[in-house]
Amino acid sequence: MAYSEKVVDHFNNPRNMGSFKKDEDGVGTGIVGAPECGDVMKLQIKVQNDTIVDAKFKTFGCGSAIASSSLATEWLKGKTVDEANQIKNTDIVQELNLPPVKIHCSVLAEDAIKAALADYKKKSGEQQ
Amino acid sequence: MARSMCWHCQSEVTGEYFCDRCVKVQPLSKDSDYFTCFALPRLLTIDAQTLETKFYELSRAFHPDFFQRKTDAEQAISLDNSALLNTAYRTLKDPIRRAEYLVQLEAGSVKDIRTSPPADLFEEILELQEDLDDFRAACSDDQTSERDRLRAKLMDKREHLERRQQTMESDLRSLFTTWDHLQTQDDRNQAVRAEKDATLKHMREILSNRTYLRNIVNDLTATIG
Repeated sequence: MAYSEKVVDHFNNPRNMGSFKKDEDGVGTGIVGAPECGDVMKLQIKVQNDTIVDAKFKTFGCGSAIASSSLATEWLKGKTVDEANQIKNTDIVQELNLPPVKIHCSVLAEDAIKAALADYKKKSGEQQ
Repeated sequence: MARSMCWHCQSEVTGEYFCDRCVKVQPLSKDSDYFTCFALPRLLTIDAQTLETKFYELSRAFHPDFFQRKTDAEQAISLDNSALLNTAYRTLKDPIRRAEYLVQLEAGSVKDIRTSPPADLFEEILELQEDLDDFRAACSDDQTSERDRLRAKLMDKREHLERRQQTMESDLRSLFTTWDHLQTQDDRNQAVRAEKDATLKHMREILSNRTYLRNIVNDLTATIG
């Protein structure tokens, strides 16, 4: 089984790799893991006026997990919080052409997005 | 083996793997699990010697070599049975895979088997991965003192993680005993059922945390040697 060209591209040139300070204003952090394979994914968003202005990730796992989170950060930028909530793992599967055994990587990316959004909402709720 | 009818002579099958009347090999049922393959109860403590003996015995019984002159139907059954038997043996032989398999088998009846992600463990892993990145950078930039400092730190961490792995495994072993004891109790009792669910959940938790730990320990070993 070979990785699709898009997976290889994201793997070799990951977009938005890195991290923000967790306690920075408007930053939401999601850390999730896949118990089956042990992959760990950290995804962060930076929100200004309800719009995601920047996103970063760090993923320790297989190529598909890295590609899924890299793609997710690309998609997140420019979206509103509500729009970001609409991203589905199936969208990632389609874009990256993931084979059935790698679908859990896209699920992990969706979970990471949801966790980051939830963290952002929790933080901004506390401030009000 | 709960099988109702022989595929060949249509008599009721009373033998375990072969029909008592026409002596034809019977297929291991599609919905028989790895425990029932070996006619074992669903327990986590398995005597390796007993399992091996049974495996060899059944391997001989089903071996395709002995079915070469039989009908196509029998050859196909012998092949399927052998394949299933091999997978079953590989899974049950290893205590960790056995536990993973049992949890997966039983999970259907357990609500909310997914455990909450261990946040502190993830934080720790991410921190270690960052130290590993720094270590790699120090290596390629020839910063000897920084490299040595990080290596010492990471080796120390690894030792700590390996101790935690050992604790996890002994915790898992004690859950084996708990589970096996609960299997002797009446399932209709609600308290028993609740305790079983809790035990399965606890096992699942240890098994996943163990996977995360194993990955980071492997990464450490691959990088610092």
